[in-house]
Amino acid sequence: MSAAAHDTPTAPPKAEYFRYTNLGPVLFGLGVAGVAGLVVCIIAFFVSRDVFLFSWLFALMFFFTISAGALFWNLLHFAVDAEWSVVIRRILETMTRSFNWLWLAFIPLALGAHHIWYRWMDTPLGEDPVVDGKRALLNPTFWAVRTVVYFAFFFSVSYLLRRWSAKQDINGDPGYSTKSRALTFGSLAFFGVFVTFAGIDWVISITPHWYSTMWGVYIFAGSAWSSMAVLILITYSLRNAGYLEGVVSTEHFHIMGKLLLSFTVFWAYIAFDQFFLIWYANIPEETEFFLTRNTESWNFMTIGFQVIGHFFVTFALLLPRAAKTNTKRLALIACWVLLMHAADLYIIVNPFLNGKGVRPLTMIVDLAALATIGAPLAILFLRGLGKNSLYALRDPRLPESLRLVN
Amino acid sequence: MTTTGRKLYGVAAELPTAADLFHAAEQIRDAGFKRWDVFSPFPIHGMDNAMGLGKSAVSYIVLCCGLTGTATALLLELGSALYLYPLVVQGKPTNIFTIPAFFPVIFELTVLFSAFGAVFGMLALNLLPRWNHPLFNWDRFAAASDDAFFVVVEASDARFSETETQNLLTKVGGTNVTLIYDED
Repeated sequence: MSAAAHDTPTAPPKAEYFRYTNLGPVLFGLGVAGVAGLVVCIIAFFVSRDVFLFSWLFALMFFFTISAGALFWNLLHFAVDAEWSVVIRRILETMTRSFNWLWLAFIPLALGAHHIWYRWMDTPLGEDPVVDGKRALLNPTFWAVRTVVYFAFFFSVSYLLRRWSAKQDINGDPGYSTKSRALTFGSLAFFGVFVTFAGIDWVISITPHWYSTMWGVYIFAGSAWSSMAVLILITYSLRNAGYLEGVVSTEHFHIMGKLLLSFTVFWAYIAFDQFFLIWYANIPEETEFFLTRNTESWNFMTIGFQVIGHFFVTFALLLPRAAKTNTKRLALIACWVLLMHAADLYIIVNPFLNGKGVRPLTMIVDLAALATIGAPLAILFLRGLGKNSLYALRDPRLPESLRLVN
Repeated sequence: MTTTGRKLYGVAAELPTAADLFHAAEQIRDAGFKRWDVFSPFPIHGMDNAMGLGKSAVSYIVLCCGLTGTATALLLELGSALYLYPLVVQGKPTNIFTIPAFFPVIFELTVLFSAFGAVFGMLALNLLPRWNHPLFNWDRFAAASDDAFFVVVEASDARFSETETQNLLTKVGGTNVTLIYDED
């Protein structure tokens, strides 16, 4: 830490609580968006069950990846015993509250499973040798058990970290930090495995013939990237509303911007890897996934949003230092990042349904599904934010985090 | 050490701790000096702000070198594969849509040129390499890589004055305030 740190006493931090006053219009707006989304989704359900289910899967993956990413940053904080992220840890913890309810959003998918994962769920034994070879993994019972295990894991780990963090605020016992670290080391490997297999089970098993060893990393890269963007947006909004004054500084935003930039490159690296090896080898059974996405209007979507928008534009935007230290500019870039993450997931999920090209009309249902799942999660987040102090009050590393210099 | 007939390089002082060096740097910065430096056995976070250094120019050098690397790779690969010697390999077309095949080299050359730009640009901005430095004439200075902290104000600074700068270095807590001479 800085040399100045040795003789600059820091006053004991005061608790800072998120207030609900002035939130009425926001909550009302979220409620209206949620209800409107739900109405559109119900109509879509009766008009075309498939359109509804794939929109729902897209929206669920959008919020699942963001929540999983938030849990990842929280775990990483404890795993490396980080100093800088102490002041924003409470926001990450509150973001993982979504796992309390995200499993509810999976129920429509579970009920309509045969409309989505029909290519292995509805294929009788002996008809398709490729699917038969994968029966050990791809059978409905084991698939359901795994889905339950994923949600149970994500819920319990994030719940324990939140609980211990809140308890530490009250009695200041540094033992909660070591306990959280022990839990982190116990669960990081499972986190990696479960995110990978959730990506395989929920998304890519829709094409059971296609396989890619990069798929889990791809989902993870998007998770870490999008959740960092959400974290930046929330921290920026809180600072704008007058919270965290003197707690979160430009230095913290600078670090978050750097992490966002590094995951922009990481995503591009592994996404291109996945595409490149399959494209170059050009073996028919491997190309199925990319064949759909590189033909018709999906080709323009892929090049426009994934190649140019997701990587080149974001990279160029985030490259100058000023982009990371100017918080308003960083927040605008974070909005762009979220848009690109949504586009990325859309290009992954939607072509399973609309293989012949983009159907813009179905995007209404996609937006409605986003609103239906997103609005309750946002209300849940805002409620959760007020439960504890806005930052981990008595974390042993808080003084270092407050005086961060990078 | 005799000093007659030699060019004055600057005035140096020793500080007892890293924190003292940090505060001394802040005061020298506020006194308006531009050509001066601090020396410590380890990096001190926040020292660039305490010294008022601003942003290093090395990132612009890296950007230029990186773009040169990208352009070199594009020219060599697309130029030869598309125009000079078009050849169908693995059923890939000989037009711009073959570009994914060239990405690894584009990436590698961009990174390679950027790394060269970072290393050599940093060396050039630090006026390195050089055979010797006037500070090595000061016997105390060897401890800069061991256990001592130094601040040096160069004589080429517009605000430099032999006596007043020595007084300033004493005022900010420096001991062993010494005039450093350059050998001819």
